[in-house]
Amino acid sequence: MPDVFVAGVGMTRVGRRSEPLPDLMADAAHAALAEAGLEVPDAIVVATMNPEEFIGDGNFASNVATQMGFADVPTLRVETATSSGAAAFYAGFAQVAAGLRHTVLVVGGEKMTHLTTPRVSELIGRSIDPYERAYGATMPALAGLVTRALMTRGAANAREIAQVAVKNHANAARNPLAHFQDAVTVEQVLESRMVADPLRLLHCCPISDGAAAVVVSAEPARVRVAGIGHGTDTLAMRHRRELTSFGATRMAAREAYGMARFGPERIDVAEVHDAFTPFELISLEDLGLVPPGKAGRATLDGETALDGRLPINPSGGLKARGHPLAATGLAQIVECVWQLTGRAHGRQVAGARRALAHSIGGLATNNWVTLLEARG
Amino acid sequence: MVVAPPASYCPHHPVLMTPDSLPGIGEIVSFTTLHTPPAGFKSPLHLAIVELDGGARFVCHGSDVKGLKVGAAVAIEAIDNIYYFSNLGTLDRARLFWRRAGRAGDRVNAIARSLAKRMWKGKHRAAS
Ligand SMILES: [Zn+2]
Repeated sequence: MPDVFVAGVGMTRVGRRSEPLPDLMADAAHAALAEAGLEVPDAIVVATMNPEEFIGDGNFASNVATQMGFADVPTLRVETATSSGAAAFYAGFAQVAAGLRHTVLVVGGEKMTHLTTPRVSELIGRSIDPYERAYGATMPALAGLVTRALMTRGAANAREIAQVAVKNHANAARNPLAHFQDAVTVEQVLESRMVADPLRLLHCCPISDGAAAVVVSAEPARVRVAGIGHGTDTLAMRHRRELTSFGATRMAAREAYGMARFGPERIDVAEVHDAFTPFELISLEDLGLVPPGKAGRATLDGETALDGRLPINPSGGLKARGHPLAATGLAQIVECVWQLTGRAHGRQVAGARRALAHSIGGLATNNWVTLLEARG
Repeated sequence: MVVAPPASYCPHHPVLMTPDSLPGIGEIVSFTTLHTPPAGFKSPLHLAIVELDGGARFVCHGSDVKGLKVGAAVAIEAIDNIYYFSNLGTLDRARLFWRRAGRAGDRVNAIARSLAKRMWKGKHRAAS
C-alpha cells in the first residue's frame, strides 16, 4: 500500500457560531487547502451527522461542495454518527491509498446551538437503538448506565472521573479555538447539576458548532498516516455483555496498531473521545495506553496532563474544546497534526513524534483509531 | 445469544432466531436516573438494564431506585408492553429459593409464571 500523508489542516473556532454550516465548513476547508498549497482537490469527502434535522438541508455533499466553490469536484458524504469525521478521514485515506485519487479534501462540520437543548438531545439520540429510545434512553442516560457500572466495578471513583474534566478544561484554556476557555475545579464538577445519575453536567461535553478539514495526499508531507482501524459493536446496549469497555475501540485499536506496526507504547500524545469524562478513562484502557484498571489513578497522578508522561486531549477534548459532532473526528486529527509539527502554541507536547486520535460513533457502535507519525 | 424483544437475526450472525421464554427474574446490571428526560416521560425517569436468569438483557423502567444496587435481584413485568423492574426483598428471595427447591404457590412464583407466559424472545440456538 502506498504511503498517505496529511498535506494540510484547518479548523474553525468551536462554540456558538452564527455563520451557516456550509460557510464554517468552507472556512476550515480553504485553510487546509491553503496549507497544502492546493487550489482544487481531486475529490472531497464531507462529514455531517444529521444536517437534515439540525438545519433542514439534505444532499449535503453537493450542498457543501457547491457553496465552497467546488461544484465540479467529485464529492461524497460519510456518516457513522458522532464519529463521522474520523470515518470521512478513512474514506479520503482509502481513496489515496488505493491510488484512485492523488489529493482528497476531507471536511466535517455540524451546527446545533440554534436549537434548544432538549431538541439537540433528541436528535443526537436518534443514533440510539429505537427500542431503547422508546424507554426514554438518551446519550447521557446510556453513559450514566456505563458510568454506574464502571464505578461499581471499582474501576474509577468520583474524583478520578471529575479530574478528567478539570484536566481537559485546563488544556482548553490554552486553546484559542476551544469552546470553553475557563478552568473548573473538582469541587465544581462534583457539585454540578445531576444529569443521569451518577453523571453530572460538568462530566458531559457541551453542544457546539464548528468545522474541521484535512487534506490527504500521495505527495510526501511532514505527517504520514501510519494506521487506521475501524471497530463496531451492537446498536443496542442491552445486547452487550460488557458495559465498561468498548469492544469497538479495542477492535479499531488492534487494526490500527497492526497497520502501523507499532503499539500503544510508542504514542506520545492522544486525542480521545471524552464526550462523557468516564469515557476517557475507559478508552485509555481500551486503547492500551494505560494498563487495565489504572486509568483513574494515572489521571489523578497527572500522567495524562499536558506535562505528564502521556498528554491526553491537549486540545481540551470533546469535553472542553467542544463536540461539533461530525467535525470532532477531524478536529482531533487537526490537533494531532499541530502537535506533530510543533504548532500547538501554548499547549505543545515537546518532541511529539506519534499521535493517536480516537473517535466514538453513537454509544460506541462505530469507532475509529487513527495513528499519525511525524517525518524527518 | 438470547435477545429481547424478538429479532429476526442474531446481532452477531446472519442466523434466524427462534422464540423462547424465560422466567422474569434476574439482576440489575446497571441503572440511572434521568433528571430531565425526553418529552413524554415524567421526571425523574429511572432506567435499568436487567439480566434475566438465562442471559437476556432488558431495558426497564422502575418506580424507585432508593437503596438499589448493581447486582440486586429484581423481578420484571410488562405493563402495556413496557417492562418494569421491582426490587425483590429478602422475603421474596427466600420464596424464590423455595420455588427453585420445588415449592410453588407464592407471590414471586406467580410473577415469574405470568412473565414466562407473556415474554416472547428470540433465541439464537446456533453456535454463537
Ligand atoms: Zn449468534
